Amino acid sequence: MTRSSFLKWLIGIVGAVSVAGILYPVLRFLKPPPAVSGAIGQVVNVGALSLFPAGQLTAVIINDKPAAVQNLNGKYAVYSLICTHLGCVNRTDGDTFRCPCHGSEFSPTGTVTHGPAKLPLPTYRSQTQNGALLVGPIDLSRAAYPAWYKGEFT
Amino acid sequence: MSVATGPAPERTPSEAKRRKPGLVGWVVNRLGLDDTMEDQYNRVVPFHASNYVYCLGGIALVLFVILAATGIMLAVYYQPTPDAAYQSVLDISTQVQFGWWIRSIHRWSAGAMVLLVFLHMLRVFFTGAYKKPRELNWLTGVALLLITMAFGFTGYLLPWDQKAYWATKVGTDIAGSVPFIGHFLLVSLRGGEQISAATLGRFFDLHVLVLPGIILVLLLGHFFMIRRHGISGRL
Repeated sequence: MTRSSFLKWLIGIVGAVSVAGILYPVLRFLKPPPAVSGAIGQVVNVGALSLFPAGQLTAVIINDKPAAVQNLNGKYAVYSLICTHLGCVNRTDGDTFRCPCHGSEFSPTGTVTHGPAKLPLPTYRSQTQNGALLVGPIDLSRAAYPAWYKGEFT
Repeated sequence: MSVATGPAPERTPSEAKRRKPGLVGWVVNRLGLDDTMEDQYNRVVPFHASNYVYCLGGIALVLFVILAATGIMLAVYYQPTPDAAYQSVLDISTQVQFGWWIRSIHRWSAGAMVLLVFLHMLRVFFTGAYKKPRELNWLTGVALLLITMAFGFTGYLLPWDQKAYWATKVGTDIAGSVPFIGHFLLVSLRGGEQISAATLGRFFDLHVLVLPGIILVLLLGHFFMIRRHGISGRL
């Protein structure tokens, strides 16, 4: 091997390593992380509609998060039970919600009736199908929820 | 069909020498760029210019290229709406793989570019390189400095955090204090009387569409004139 061909190889190797060193993080960067891909939870079948009697809230677990199914005379809605104040799990009290930590209370439609919470409880997207209740991703569009709260659902 | 026959025209020695092998040679040959390329390659850097202070402009260009590349990558995940902007920046820094790295490079290069452009201007000033016939290049250079600072100002708002918000409030208030046209400037920048979603949209537009277009044209002019004038004489 001549000196000039050796140097050409050396330049080529250094160049290839440099390009690879830049390409690797760039390609990893372009791969979407799970939290940013928009998939917040999967569709879950929480069971037959007969499990959810009218006029009361029934606690369920959706994607490892506590929630409650509401049956208003055959109209179903699913509320998150995570308090929008500091993230405790709300208790259901008849058809209302009450937080055991700081006393926040929410109406049957999830709006705040007593502080310190300021933001309404978000709902899950849901629909009935073949006598069962299907629950989809959470709907955070009801209010401008802070980052820590959104993190509860990613 | 008859084809003109006869001996092929002989190549002169210099012509034969100029034919380059490989892909680059193929392209150069097709475009007839031999003379141009040779002229570019045969530039001699004068001895007095082999000094680090003559590298400042070049370093600023390298930083610009880095900023363009990392900026394009950040735009993949950044969302220019008040609801999503801050969260998307947090996601880039905490969720996206190497996102913190790309964002940090963009951020630090941005600061360094402003500094380097300014130092480059000082070098040109103190070596008298702005004198005839290079006045026009000095003027494009001043424009480039202002564009660089406009990049910095508009980019500062994009994370949409408290510092960004209040810095933009102060900055646009200063624009509003210009005599006669101040109020027009202020509402044009903010997209209204107050800082809002419109402000973020406008600053994002300036930062990723308008300013890059302007700076590319100015840079081309700047470099064309450097080639045209050559490096200025020594002190």
